[in-house]
Amino acid sequence: MLAASAPVSLSVPDIGLTTPLLSLGRDAKGEAEVPPGEAGSPAGWYKYSPTPGEQGPSVILGHVNTTTIPEGVFYRLHELKPGEQFSVSRADGSVLVFGVDRTEIFQKASFPTLAVYGNTDRAEIRLITCGGYEPSTGEFVENTVVYGHLLSSTK
Amino acid sequence: MNKKSALLIAPALALAAMTFSSGAAMAADNGTSTFETNLGAINGSNATGSVWITLTGDQATVTENVSGLAATFNGAAYPHAQHIHIDGAGVCPAPSADTSGDGVISTTEGGPSYGKIGTTLSTSGDTSDKAALDLAVAGMGASYKYERTFTMNAETIASMKAGKAVVVVHGLDPATLPAAAQKEMSDLAPTLPLAATSPALCGTLAVSQMAAMPGGAPGTGVTTALAPTNASTSPDVAWFVGGGALVLAAGGALALGRKRTVAAHKSTVAK
Repeated sequence: MLAASAPVSLSVPDIGLTTPLLSLGRDAKGEAEVPPGEAGSPAGWYKYSPTPGEQGPSVILGHVNTTTIPEGVFYRLHELKPGEQFSVSRADGSVLVFGVDRTEIFQKASFPTLAVYGNTDRAEIRLITCGGYEPSTGEFVENTVVYGHLLSSTK
Repeated sequence: MNKKSALLIAPALALAAMTFSSGAAMAADNGTSTFETNLGAINGSNATGSVWITLTGDQATVTENVSGLAATFNGAAYPHAQHIHIDGAGVCPAPSADTSGDGVISTTEGGPSYGKIGTTLSTSGDTSDKAALDLAVAGMGASYKYERTFTMNAETIASMKAGKAVVVVHGLDPATLPAAAQKEMSDLAPTLPLAATSPALCGTLAVSQMAAMPGGAPGTGVTTALAPTNASTSPDVAWFVGGGALVLAAGGALALGRKRTVAAHKSTVAK
């Protein structure tokens, strides 16, 4: 596990994705902020979670769609398979490789906060987007959560 | 409010509200700290649960989700008294805590493990130990979500920070107890059966690795407009309003976002 350093970009070759990372806080209701909804918007790191590489669940959020086109930054996130790898570059110049442990899909109405954001024994990461598009309302009713853990780092 | 004028101020807000991440990990706002625990079954309750507590000064917001508890008692929703215990060993009792050997760890028998009652997680009114056995303000039924903000006493706060605070939810289905124990009366309230007051869930509160726990499910899907003809009532606009400052920020931050992500977007679409 590593000392804190904010993440600056995320690269997930298996789904053809490279994105810079915004810094996301919380809104007035205490919910995590999300990146802008327009096409081309990057993903973001929830700044009150551990930085990638630190012990605990580092949280990265990205939209599944956009205000104009269906392809948001994480629209292919659900394709990731256990064992596949992705990397995070941090402000201190380090590049961290994470391995996918599993993908879980949760109904938003029963989102299991501690199962996703709870303490962990090692440096872990959560890549989170939405799913379960409901045509009758235009809303997404599920969250897709990719669980990963730190494999190695280089600087 | 005029939607157009709100959007016009977006660029300025965007720069203030949203930055590319560059600094070190942020401490939470206002010296807030967060504690959490997963609740484990005791006495074979087969229940599960989780609790997290956001503490700012002496103001505590407790959020709790439980399921699989005993559902009914005398034909009504089963009352589950719940507390934060303090000043014990800071652990949940092991089976060996059943010193009477009746197959049930009573609340008294669990005492050395989790300590005395520091706070009652009541649904209204008093949160002190005086409300400990007030079943009218207990959690109700097999599954429930509890969320309450209250002034937490100093003893509970100190114990929580010392890693010695333990959440205990009481109330077992009598049918799950050994036959002899089903006939026993409570060690706490002689008019109640032993099952009614014995622990069903337990977890020691630990400092959360999240400086601030996000509430709810992440809004990582853009609600699409179903009827774009009326901008003032379309779901699309509702989403924008719902996102607060961030939403107003969207227009301005986007210019930045687009430049930096154009490559990523292209490769994403190409595959």
